[in-house]
Amino acid sequence: MATDLRISNISKIYPGCIANDNVSLQFKSGKIYALLGENGAGKSTLVKILSGVVSPDNGEVFLNEKNLKLSSPLDAKKNKIGMVFQHFNLFETLSVFENLSIDATENNKSLRVRINEILKKYNFSIDLDVPVLNLSAGQKQKVEIIRCLLRSPKVLIMDEPTSVLTEQETEELFISLKKFCDEGILIIYITHKLKEVLSLCDEVAVMRKGKVVSVSQTQNERVETLANKMVGQKLAKIKKKINISKNKDEIFKVKHLNFYSDDPFETNLVNLNFSVKKGECLGIAGISGNGQNELFQILSGEIITPDTSIIFRNKEIAKLNPKQRREYFMAFSPEDRISQAAVPELKIYENVALNNFKSSNFFEKGLVNEKKIKEHSKKILSDFSVNTDNVELKSQFLSGGNLQKLILGRELITAPELLICYNPTWGLDVGAINYIHETLIKINDQEKSTILISTDTEELLKLSDRIAVIYKGKLSKIMPSEEVTPEKLGVLMGGGSID
Amino acid sequence: MIKIEKRNDVPMALYFFTPFIAIVLTILGGGIIFYILGFNPIEALKFYFITPISNLYGFSELLLKATPLCLIAIGLSFCFKSNNWNIGAEGQLTFGAIVGGGVALLFYNQEGFYILPLVIIAGAIGGMFFAIIPAILKTYFNTNEILVSLMLVYVSKLLLDYLVVGPWSNPEGFNFPETRQFSDSSRMPLLFEGLRIHAGIFLALGAVMLSWFILYKTYLGFQIKVSGLSLKTAKYAGFKGKTMILVVFMISGACAGLAGVGEITGPIGQLHRMISPDYGFTAIIVAFLGRLNPFGIIFASLVVALTYLGAETAQIFLQIPKYTGQVFQGMILFFLLASDYLLFFKVKILNLKKNELRH
Repeated sequence: MATDLRISNISKIYPGCIANDNVSLQFKSGKIYALLGENGAGKSTLVKILSGVVSPDNGEVFLNEKNLKLSSPLDAKKNKIGMVFQHFNLFETLSVFENLSIDATENNKSLRVRINEILKKYNFSIDLDVPVLNLSAGQKQKVEIIRCLLRSPKVLIMDEPTSVLTEQETEELFISLKKFCDEGILIIYITHKLKEVLSLCDEVAVMRKGKVVSVSQTQNERVETLANKMVGQKLAKIKKKINISKNKDEIFKVKHLNFYSDDPFETNLVNLNFSVKKGECLGIAGISGNGQNELFQILSGEIITPDTSIIFRNKEIAKLNPKQRREYFMAFSPEDRISQAAVPELKIYENVALNNFKSSNFFEKGLVNEKKIKEHSKKILSDFSVNTDNVELKSQFLSGGNLQKLILGRELITAPELLICYNPTWGLDVGAINYIHETLIKINDQEKSTILISTDTEELLKLSDRIAVIYKGKLSKIMPSEEVTPEKLGVLMGGGSID
Repeated sequence: MIKIEKRNDVPMALYFFTPFIAIVLTILGGGIIFYILGFNPIEALKFYFITPISNLYGFSELLLKATPLCLIAIGLSFCFKSNNWNIGAEGQLTFGAIVGGGVALLFYNQEGFYILPLVIIAGAIGGMFFAIIPAILKTYFNTNEILVSLMLVYVSKLLLDYLVVGPWSNPEGFNFPETRQFSDSSRMPLLFEGLRIHAGIFLALGAVMLSWFILYKTYLGFQIKVSGLSLKTAKYAGFKGKTMILVVFMISGACAGLAGVGEITGPIGQLHRMISPDYGFTAIIVAFLGRLNPFGIIFASLVVALTYLGAETAQIFLQIPKYTGQVFQGMILFFLLASDYLLFFKVKILNLKKNELRH
C-alpha cells in the first residue's frame, strides 16, 4: 500500500527564535526525500515533531489522510514512523539481541527468527550475541535500522546518518536505503551534504531560517544551485574594508596540526596549516561537527597535540596551556557561553577573574584581590555596554547578548594581539549581533588579529579578510574574501570542490 | 502525567534553610518509628535528643563526638566542592591513627612537651599519604576515586587489626588485641577536670577558620569553586587540574588523619580495633548537611554527634540497639536529599484532558 505523509502549516516557536515557520511538505512512498539546510535551519525541529519528541505550536501531520496525534515517541512508533537519530540510543554493554529485545512485544524465539530474516534479506552481517560496544559505527547504525524494521515502518527518517560513517559504510547504507524505498517505505533523509542529496535522493526540500525555501527534483539541481538555496543570497553589504596587505607580518602560524580521537563523535583533524597576519581576520567556515570544536580547543591549549607547531609572535606555544597562552596576549571566546566561557552560578566579577593573566594582579601571592577584580569588572561593564553595573550580580541573570558582551569584554580588555572566537553571535538577537560585529571589526582596525570560527556564512563574509572552509577535519585552501561567494562557500561546506 | 522541571531561580536563603527542614522531618520520622516499636514517641525522643545533653558531662560528650566529625567533614568539603568524591575518610582516619599511634608507641616510656606535636603531625601525614593514593591513581591512571578510596578503608582497617594483634600488641596485655597505653606526654590535654573533652576541639575550630580562608579568600579556593561548578570552564581557564586534585585529597586526608590522632590521643589512649564508630563515613552526611560551608559544618557535626549520643542513651533506657543512631543518620541524609530535590526541581502534574483538547 502506498504511503502518503503530509505536513500542514507546522509552526514551532522557541523563546527568541522561530524554529519552524508555517512549514508544509508532502511525501509519497517510492521516493527518497532529502531535507537540506544549514545548522539552525529548522530541520531537526521538524524531525522531532514527526517523531513525537516535540509538539508543534500549530499545524498538523497527516499519514494517509489520517490526522496523527504525536505527543510522544511512542505515538510515532504506533503510527509506523521509524527514526534513526544521529547519536545512537543503544546500551553499549548489552548484546545486539538484548538491545533489540528491550522494546519488543513478542517472545525471544520468534524475535530472533524475524531478526535473522531481516539480516538475510538486506545482507547485513552482524553477530547478534556480541556486546554493542564491539561494533563499528556503521554496524551500530544497522542495529538501529533493524530496530525500526522490526516494526515494519511506513516512514523511515534518517537524521544526518553519514556523519559517523566511513565512505564504505556510507555506500552500503545507500544501497540498503534504496532497497527499503523499492519495498514501499517512505524515506526522509536529513542532511547538509550536497553530494549525498544528488546521489541518493529523488526530491529535495531546502530549509532556511525555519522556512521551506524550495522543493525540487534532484535531477534538475546541481551542487552549486543547491548550495545557493541552502546558504541564501541576501547578504548584508556593510562589509568592512579589507585590511589585507601583502607585506604585513605573520603573527600566528600553525603547522602540521593533526588530531586523532577514538571517540566516534569527535572529528579527526588532518594536517591543518595556516597563518594569520597582523590586523587580519581569518574566517573558518563549515557546518558544525566538521572539526571546529577540536580546532578551537587545540588553538586555545585545552587539547595539546604532539608534533604540532604553533608559532605566535615568534615563539613556539604549542605545548602551553590556555593560561600560559594568555600571557602571550592571546584571548579566547568559546562557543559555549553558559558552561564553558562563563559559569552562570558565579557572580560577574568572579567570571571576570577567570581570565587571570600575570599583569592583572587578581591573585597576589595566592590570595584573592577582590577590590582589583571588581574595579576591573566595572570597567568591562561600562566599556562594553553590558546593561548592568552590579558586579555582584550572578551571571545567570544576564541575557545571552549581555553575557557575550561580558565575555568578549573580559577577553578584549587586556588588548590581546590575537582573539580566537567560535560562533560569537550564536543565538543572539540582532542588536547584540551588530554590537559584537562592530567590536570585532574595531579590533582589526587597531591592528590586532582575529580568527573567527563560525557556522554563520553571512557573518564570515561580513567580517573576514580571508576565508577557509573546514570539512570532515580538513581545511580548504584559504581564499581572499572578495573572491568568495556564498555559492562557493556552500559547495565547500557540503563537501564539494571548486575550480 | 507527571513532569519534573528544573527551577530556574533557587533562593540562597532557602538553600541554607532546607537542612533544618530535613532535621525536623527526621525527628518526626523517628517518632513514628518509635511509635511502631511500641514506645511512647515523645518520651523516646526526649531520651534520644534531650537527656544526653541535659548535664555538663553530656555536653562535653557531644563536643567530643562532634570534634572528629567536624574535622573530617571540613576536609571532605574541599574534595566535594571540586567534584572529587573521596569516600574513604574512614580509611584515612585509620591510617592517620596508625602512623600517629606508631610514633606515640615509640615514646611510650618517655615524657616531653615535644611528643604530642610529633604524634599529631605524624597522624596528619599518615592521613595525607593514604588520601594521595586514590588521587594519584585518578589523575594518572584514570581510576574512579570513589571505588579506590572506599576499598582502601578495608586495607587500613585490616592493617590496624594485624598490628594490634601482632607486632604492636601489648607484651603485658594478656593477648588482648590492643597496644600499650600511650604515655601522658602523647595525650591531648583535657580542658576540664572530670570531663573527656580535650584540646583536639581547637584543631577542629582551627580547621574551620583555615578552610573558610582558603575556600573564600585564595586562588586555590577560587579554582576549587570553578572546578566544582564546571570542569569545562576550569579547563578553559587553564587551571592545573591534576595538581588541584592532589591538593584537595591531601587536605582531606590530613584532616581525617588529625581526627584519627585526636581519638587515640584523646579519649582512647592506645590503639585497638575499634578506634572509630565509622566517623569517616558519617562525616559525609555532616559535610552535606552543613552545605559544604565551614560554619554550616560546625552546626551539622553537633546535630549528627547527638544521634550517636542519643543512640547510647536509648540503648540504656529503652533497651533498643544503638544502631538506631545509624537509622537516624540515614534519615537525615534521606530527607536532606529529598528536600534538595524538591528545592531544585518542581513537580508538575499535567492535566491530560486539556492536553488532548489542544490536538
